[in-house]
Parts: sequence; structure tokens; C-alpha cells
Amino acid sequence: MRLRPSSVRVGLTFWYSSALALIILAFSLGVFFFVKASLFRQLNRQLDSDFLAVSQVSSEEPNEVPEVENENSSRIFQLVKGGKVLFETPAFKRSGLPVLGKAAASGGRTVLSPSGARFRLKTAPVGPDLLLSVAVEEEPVRGALRTLAIILLLSLPAALALAGLGGYLMAGRLLRPVSIFAARAERISAEDLSARLPVEDPGDEFGQLAGVVNRMLSRLEEAFERLRRFTADASHELRTPLTVIRSVGEVALEEELDAAAYRDRIGSMLEDVDRLTRLVDNLLTLTRADSGSISLERKASDAARLVKRAVEDMRPLAEEKNQALTLAADGPVRIRADEATLRLALVNLLDNGIKYTPESGAIAVRSYVRGSDAVIEVADTGRGVPPGHGDRLFERFYRAEQDRSCGPGGAGLGLAIAKWAAEANGGRIEWESREKQGSTFRLVFPVDRKADETKNP
Amino acid sequence: MNILIIEDEKKVALALKKGLESEHYSVEVAFTGEDGFFRLCSRIFDLIILDLMLPGRDGTEILGTIRKNGIRTPVLILTARDAVEDKIIGLDLGADDYLVKPFAFPEMTARIRALARRGRTDLATKLTLADLEMDLLKRTVRRGEQAIPLTTREFELLEFLLRNQGHVVTRDMLARDVWKETVRATPLDNVIDVHIGRLRKKLDEPFSMRLLHTVRGVGFILAEKDA
Repeated sequence: MRLRPSSVRVGLTFWYSSALALIILAFSLGVFFFVKASLFRQLNRQLDSDFLAVSQVSSEEPNEVPEVENENSSRIFQLVKGGKVLFETPAFKRSGLPVLGKAAASGGRTVLSPSGARFRLKTAPVGPDLLLSVAVEEEPVRGALRTLAIILLLSLPAALALAGLGGYLMAGRLLRPVSIFAARAERISAEDLSARLPVEDPGDEFGQLAGVVNRMLSRLEEAFERLRRFTADASHELRTPLTVIRSVGEVALEEELDAAAYRDRIGSMLEDVDRLTRLVDNLLTLTRADSGSISLERKASDAARLVKRAVEDMRPLAEEKNQALTLAADGPVRIRADEATLRLALVNLLDNGIKYTPESGAIAVRSYVRGSDAVIEVADTGRGVPPGHGDRLFERFYRAEQDRSCGPGGAGLGLAIAKWAAEANGGRIEWESREKQGSTFRLVFPVDRKADETKNP
Repeated sequence: MNILIIEDEKKVALALKKGLESEHYSVEVAFTGEDGFFRLCSRIFDLIILDLMLPGRDGTEILGTIRKNGIRTPVLILTARDAVEDKIIGLDLGADDYLVKPFAFPEMTARIRALARRGRTDLATKLTLADLEMDLLKRTVRRGEQAIPLTTREFELLEFLLRNQGHVVTRDMLARDVWKETVRATPLDNVIDVHIGRLRKKLDEPFSMRLLHTVRGVGFILAEKDA
């Protein structure tokens, strides 16, 4: 449960938190420097206004300066005349700032007092030989900034922790379908492919994913079902002749028979050996076709000629059943095909048509060109295929009748072979059928235009 | 005619030996490639039947060595692998013919007869059996004084049976040699049976002595015998 989703969850949370940390950090730095700049601007303004107030008094009436400074004023300034302190406030004295000469005149600078406190100091001449120094304490501003920095520094990890936790929980909630998928998928095995993933909202990404996986599971289930059926049918088809051979042999050994009768028994066994051989040959053909190890020699051929030959070869079978086997061809039908495999498809289709059409029925074979397709059509008036079988007709051993023991026989590989042979030659099989009225199978190949051009320039 | 069978499957080898001996061939069997090669070098055979899948020394290897040493004895290879490539490899290495397992025994004897005949031009224009006479030039068939009209396919079928008279002919052989079928999986058995039935009707039914016989589980035989 906690394998993959949990690591995706941690990853999501990690990236989310990292991004958030960067944003908060940038924001905090911005806030800090903005606040710092505006606080110092305010400090400078206070210094300027203090300086202005004191300088007005001191330049006009230097001796009245002390009166400007009453008891509860906290102004810090010093008036120097000719290198000697004319007046200084108690706060200035307490600060331990030095007596400043003319050289020290400045618009405003930060000065460190001997006691370690910082002051914003402005020194400028205010009259002949009169130098005024005004200072404001920076400490309240610096203290506020320190507090702000601490608050920001402390809130960053706290916000991160909160956001990370929230993100982790949210990711978990979002990824919950994944854990459910994993748990559900764990229970799906080759033995039971019927389970499906839950689809909560078919519109969202997880719903779509679940849909895709479910469709894949359906296809897998179908494939497994086909394989299971194939194995069951194949073993049935293989076991039947084996059983016959065995029982005929065993019974013959028990009996006292003359040479002719023994010969007959052995012949009977050989018949089923033949049946087995044929079955294995057919299966081998299909298996080799699956693995693509049958090498085909596709060359320009006339489908009409091949059809004619196959029809003439199979005609005796139709004649035996009093069936009308008709052939209609408009002329040459040029395709590129391996003639041996195409003949295999043709003979199997004809065999099928004759087999499933009752006595005195009709089988109509046509070859014609339909647009860019070359078509070979075998239409019978047989029992047809009941609806609901679909293309399973072309599966190995598949038969429309449920009961394998009835019907005209054959192992049920003919159509599978015909389909392979058609596809191996670049074609396909089309078919339609109406129950009790007959079936039509069409081999459809692309017309070989090249052959047409060379034949009729 | 001396035949050497090189085949590791003992049951198969001994069955072939017995079968061929009953057809009056003289047969030696080697169960390994080494033994087979040793026998080959020590005496002269008229035909070698060689299994391609042998333990130790592979059949293709033996075939290659035989031909490299200038031994020209005809070789009939047996292969369980029905792949075209296999046949081509075998024929490229100098085999004269091949049979795919499982094969019918009459088919093997037919191949052996064909290999023994090889090189001799067949000048016969008439094939006969008892009172049956086939004129290959005029394409006519007679039994005694009575002409038997045959279709082209029936004529070819009868010709093949006549050429193999006295020997069993399988449906596989007919499919390949009369119907010229190259793919073994083609469902022609029923077609062959129908043609045999029609041929029998024309050939045997009006006459007292039957010539075309069915050997159950194996095939057909054209012979002068009472069934």
C-alpha cells in the first residue's frame, strides 16, 4: 500500500514545500529591507526636524538654547563655539559622544558611542564659529528590526512545517485512488481477471487512468479466456483420436481374430493416427504463422485463376452433395500473393461452404475488383452462423455449434487458417451471415496496380 | 539393394528395417552418427536414410562429411522439423530427397523406388496391369476391349496408381504428386476420396476382377488381387 504512492506523496510534498520556502524567504527579505529602509528614513526625518528646531534657536539666540531644552525633553544636542562646548543636553552628556570639531560636519551619519550605543548624528555650523551637533538614538529602530527579523525567522519554519503537513495530507488525499488501485490490482491475477478498478469520476485524470486500465483488463481477460478455450479444445481434439487408438488396440489384443480382422483394427487405428497427424500439421502451421517463421513468396498473381483452380478441385465434393457450385469471374484480378497460402485460404473457405450447406444447396464463388480492392467471395446457402458469434468464428477450434460431437466434423481450424492466410498476403476476411439462409465470406486484398500497368501500358 | 538407416530412435529404425526387408531390401541400422559414419566408410551402400536430428554427431554434419569425402550414395533425409529452411539446408548439403516425420511407410518405399529409378529415362508409352492398359500418348485407357473414358484428373490419378502398382499409395502422396499440393495442411482428403470412388466406378464395377483396393488407414493400391 505504501510503496509507490507514498514516495510520490513525499516527492510532491517536498517540491511543494521547497517552492513555498523560497517564496516565504523572498517575501521575508523584502519585508525586512522595506521596513528597515522606511524606519531609517523616519529617523533621518526626525534628526532633520530636531536639527532645524535647535539650529533656529541657536543661530538667533545662542544663549537661550538651554531654555529650549526643558526638563522632559529628550533631545540630544551639543553646541560648540570655538572648540569649546557652549551647551549640551544631559542626554548628550550621557551618551559620551565626543566634542566635535568643524571637520566633523556631516549631513547625518551613524556613530558608535563609547558605551556601545549607536546614534544618528548630524553636525553643521549654525553661525559664526558656532557648530551644532544633533543626535537621535538608533537603538529603538534597531531593536524593532531585530524583533522583526526574529519574528520572520521563527515564522518561516513554522509556516513551512504547517504547509508541508497540509501538503502531505492533501497529496495523500489526492493520491488515495492510487493506493486503492494498487490494492485492487494486487488482487487481480491470471486466475481471476474479472475485478476492475473503481472509477469515481470518469472525467478526472484518475478516472481516465482507471478507464484505460479497465479496458486493458477486459482485453486481457478476453485473451486469457480465448487461451483457456483453446487449450481445452486442443486437448479435446487431441485426446479423441488418442482414445480411439488406445481402445481399439486394447480391445483387439483381448480378442481372438483372424489376420484380416486384425488388419482392419490396425487400419482403424491408423485412420486416427492420420487424424492426429493432420491436426498437429494444422496447429503447427498456425503456430509457425504466429511466430512469423513461415516464409512467403509474394508475387504478382491472378486471383481469378487461383479461384478457378480451387473451385475445380473442390467441385467433386459439391457434386457429391448435389450442390450447385458456380463461379463468376469478370477477368483477371491482379494481386500480390503467395499462391500456396492463398490456395490454402480458398480451399478452406470452399470446404467450409460445402460442408455447412445442405444437399442441393448452392455455393456461389465470385472474383471481382471493388474500387482498390480485389475480392474473392464465397457465398453459401447453408445453415449460416447464429448471431452473437462475431469474429470468434476465426478462433482456433471455435465452432458455431456448441456440441462438438454433432455437425459435419472438422476440427474447427479451417477459418483460423483462412484468416491467417489472408492476412499473411496483406488482405483480410469480411463476412456476413444470416441464420438458416447462408453465409458469405470475402477475401479482400489490395489490387496490384503495378501488374496492371505492366500488362496494359 | 543395400540400405543404411542412421536413426537414433530405435523403435522407428527397427520398424523401418523390418518394413524394408519385407520389400526385399537388405538393410543395416546405425543408432548413432558415429556408428553410421563408420559403416559408411567400411562398405558400399546403394542408399542412405539419414535422420537429421541425431545426438552427438548431427545429421547435417554427417551429410556434409559424406559429400566432402566424395561418397555419392543417394541420401534420403528424415526430419521432424517441417520447416522449409530445414529441407533447403538438407538439399543444399547434397541430400537427394527428404521426408517429414511422421511419414507414411508407403511414402518412404515410393521415394526409395524413385531414387533407385533415377537417372534411368522412362521411355514407356504404355502402362499395364492385368487387362488394364493405359496409353500415355493417346491418353486412353482400356480394360480388355472396352475403352474407359476418364476425366483429366482421373487419368492422372490412374497413371500415378499404375506407376506405383503393387504398392500402397497414401492420400498425402496423391495430394502432392497428382494435385501438386505444396502445403500439407490443405484439406484435400475428401476430394481424393471422391475421385477414387469415381475412378473405381468406371474402372472396376463393370468387371469381375477388381484392381483398385483401399487399404484402410493407409491409402489405396492398384494390384491384381482379390479383396
